[in-house]
Amino acid sequence: MGGLQKKKFERGSATNYITRNRARKKLQLSLPDFRRLCILKGIYPHEPKHKKKVNKGSTAPRTFYLLKDIRFLLHEPIVGKFREYKIFVRKLKKAYGKTEWSAVERLRENKPTYKLDHIIKERYPTFIDALRDIDDALCMCFLFSTFARTGKCHVQTIQLCRRLTVEWMNYVIASRSLRKVFLSIKGIYYQAEVMGQLITWVVPYQFSHDHPVDVDYRVMATFTELYTTLLGFVSFRLYSSLNLVYPPKLDSNGESEPKEESEDDYAMNSESYLEKLSALSASLARVVSSADEEEAQLDQFPSEGEDMEKMEAREKELKQQEAQKKLFEGLKFYLNREVPRESLAFVIRCFGGQVSWDKSVCIGSTYDVTDETITHQIIDRPSVGKQYINRYYIQPQWLYDCVNAKILLPVEDYFLGGTLPPHLSPFVEEKEGDYVPPEKLKMMALQRGEKPEQEEEEEQEEDDNGDEEDDEEEVAEEKNLKKMEEQRSQGKSLHVKVTPGKLKVENKARLEQEEKAEEKRLAIMMMKKKEKYLYDKIMFGKKRKVREANKLAAKRKAHDDSEKAKKKKARK
Amino acid sequence: MAAARRLKRVAISQPGFLTLNPKVTPTDLVSSRRKRVNKNKKKNWNKYSDVQDVEEFLEDVRHQERTTGKGKSSRPLRIDLILQHDSLVAPPKDVLAYQKPNAKKLRRTAERAEKLAANGVVPRSKKRLLNRTVVDRTSKKTETEANNNPERDFYDIWGQETKDLGEPWYLQQTRKKLVKRPEKLNEKPSVLPAVEVIAPGGSYNPDFFSHQELLREAHEVELKKKKVEDKLERQLAYNKADTATEETILREQVEGLVEESEEEEEKDAPKEDGEEVAVGAIAVADKKTERQRKREKAEKMKEQQRLTERRQTEQQQQLFQLRSIKTSIKQQEETTQIRQKRRKAKEEAQKAQPRRLGKLKFQPQDMEVQLSDELAGSLRQLKPEGSVLMDRFKSLQKRNLIEPRERAKFKRRLKVKYVEKRAFKEIS
Repeated sequence: MGGLQKKKFERGSATNYITRNRARKKLQLSLPDFRRLCILKGIYPHEPKHKKKVNKGSTAPRTFYLLKDIRFLLHEPIVGKFREYKIFVRKLKKAYGKTEWSAVERLRENKPTYKLDHIIKERYPTFIDALRDIDDALCMCFLFSTFARTGKCHVQTIQLCRRLTVEWMNYVIASRSLRKVFLSIKGIYYQAEVMGQLITWVVPYQFSHDHPVDVDYRVMATFTELYTTLLGFVSFRLYSSLNLVYPPKLDSNGESEPKEESEDDYAMNSESYLEKLSALSASLARVVSSADEEEAQLDQFPSEGEDMEKMEAREKELKQQEAQKKLFEGLKFYLNREVPRESLAFVIRCFGGQVSWDKSVCIGSTYDVTDETITHQIIDRPSVGKQYINRYYIQPQWLYDCVNAKILLPVEDYFLGGTLPPHLSPFVEEKEGDYVPPEKLKMMALQRGEKPEQEEEEEQEEDDNGDEEDDEEEVAEEKNLKKMEEQRSQGKSLHVKVTPGKLKVENKARLEQEEKAEEKRLAIMMMKKKEKYLYDKIMFGKKRKVREANKLAAKRKAHDDSEKAKKKKARK
Repeated sequence: MAAARRLKRVAISQPGFLTLNPKVTPTDLVSSRRKRVNKNKKKNWNKYSDVQDVEEFLEDVRHQERTTGKGKSSRPLRIDLILQHDSLVAPPKDVLAYQKPNAKKLRRTAERAEKLAANGVVPRSKKRLLNRTVVDRTSKKTETEANNNPERDFYDIWGQETKDLGEPWYLQQTRKKLVKRPEKLNEKPSVLPAVEVIAPGGSYNPDFFSHQELLREAHEVELKKKKVEDKLERQLAYNKADTATEETILREQVEGLVEESEEEEEKDAPKEDGEEVAVGAIAVADKKTERQRKREKAEKMKEQQRLTERRQTEQQQQLFQLRSIKTSIKQQEETTQIRQKRRKAKEEAQKAQPRRLGKLKFQPQDMEVQLSDELAGSLRQLKPEGSVLMDRFKSLQKRNLIEPRERAKFKRRLKVKYVEKRAFKEIS
């Protein structure tokens, strides 16, 4: 035959995919470099639908990439930088080996570096795209900022992550966008609403430091590299949207200024600024100094397709949100030494409250324990030494529960030493018919505006009543049972009586007939379908005959009767 | 002889030496004749030559030179003689040194310079001076430009309007413009959200039912694991009674070897029957006769007729069976729809599953659950469970962003040979 035969695995899905090693060779990169490049550019391996076709008949597990993606990678300028870096390492090793220290210094000064700005611009062409992906970035940055600065990953990365996380927290405080907080056994989950996007991130506890061995740190470091760049640009944009100075500066016009003398105790001069910022106790400086801002009431125009009802609902929602943003306004908090300072300071400041802590804990404490105007003191110990009269001593869970409930909950449940009510997850949305824990019901009732004290009293009364009723019922039942037992034990007869029965005369002949009839019936039931069909036909025929006979007889009778009647008439 | 003389001389030169003759002193005895020295040797020049007078003279001359200018000789230095002009022709006059600029001209140039400066034009030399940038040798270039520099600057990457630096074709050919990113790459590889919040039972102070729910889930996971283990054990289990005892082993080994008459007879009889049966099966069939063939044909025809008649009657009867046909069709359609729905649901569920991207399958992490007695009463006593690092890593794998990999093992190319030291060989 001619040469136009179709060969297997030459077109279709087999040519769309390429294995990892082939791709690596095409790009002329080492495996870790290839992996880093794929992570930075956002190119992920694909699982083909028909593995046998793509793998040319074998089912060995291989990693496949789309060929078009790899071709796209060939145009990336960072690939050149990776190759330069490889050569730099080679030259450096040589210089070290020859102990040419001047050469080593010269090479180190001209180390090849690369920037990821163009990749960010390419992967996230608009700001909203970047905001959608910021969850992951935030989690990574918060995670890396808790790492110990031992040198396993670059210390600079950790510092950069710390700076970015502090900037983010300051932004959330300034824009009051925090909505939900959840304390779990793994870490603290936060949810904020930024420019219409719901952003969830998790922060590990400060005091947990077990580093699992089987995590690939290089991969995580590459992800962090990309995410730090992304988060930095997003932060810049967010700050400029609020008219704040970026990189953030503390507002020097604020009332509470940290004292100069105590600064030396906390940090070096170079780091003291970041530390002050990370204390989250001071407000940020604005680009245009805000004088008295008059909020003009905007005219309400219903948009197309909306009734007054929907608009009113929306207005109500907005009002609720505004009220929620000012939850802790006017309240002054003081944090004791054993509570997680950063998390609580963040949450308190997000809702307008003022917070301070002990001087020995961290820089930036604005007022002391002895301040008389403190309204709430957050304590986690079983008891506290000196108690001031006009402040509440509560456990930290109160703050988180208030944030989730969007109102100020009654403080009584959270006093020291008592068992706390359970911390419910705000991320759970119960549908109708699901189990709703009673605490949540109580909270929803509070939200609706029912007075808490009365409710409590009512509940108490109800509880008491319920208990009483239950008790009564139980008591009654018990009494009954006891009675019956007594009676039985005493040998008295209960309500049931035994009476003599009636005798039935049995007819033998009838019994025989009945037995026969039963047997017949059984036999009929056990017949096969065909046989039953025939039998039915036969019976039908028989019955027909009988019916005809009956008909004739009835006719005859009728005729006879009529004849008789005629005769009678004739006679008369 | 010389040695004796030397000894005598040494003895005489000692202090307190007494001579036998009172008139003769020790000095008379010592210095009688001067010793003859060889002055031709370098060693002896310094020792036996007296240069005091020469030294005095030279000292004198040096002193004179120090005090007066040139000293004795007042000749000019040679270098001065060389540098003299020895030509009788006078050197030419430097005309330019005598030229004084015209005051008017000077004034005019000054005014022009002022006017230009007022307009903002800077003379060329000044411009070059100003354009010289100061080389920043204090900060390291690589550190500031590195991607993870903690002090790095961020700018508005989305706000800037891209300027058209040149023709698009030119930019593309010179690789100044980046290639457009294919649209398919913007799709996320998984529908799962980036951060999955833990179930409400995972709160540090959970409410009873949700905690029980979480415990139940963890329990089910453990049950599954146990089931798999049990299955494996069952497959591997064997009955101890089946182990070969010595008797059975012996019988096996001896089988067929021991010959007894009874056994032979028994074996012969069943063998014959078997042969007969076998012979019967191989017998050749007789040829078919005409009659048989005709009969077969007639039967076939009848059969076919019957079938056609039946089909006709069925078709006619189908008219009366319309209702049942309708119901059966409806049922079929329902089943197909149910199957379609099931398949779609399966596909959706498959999308949420992590794909198999490499050699290893995705291993989900252990559930983070605290038992009832581990639950802390307060935030201070909380002992965190699970690590966020592991959680993030697994989440990346679950969302198909990276493939699951295990740590690279250390493989040796050449085998290692272990040799005992001689001392240890003696011991063991």
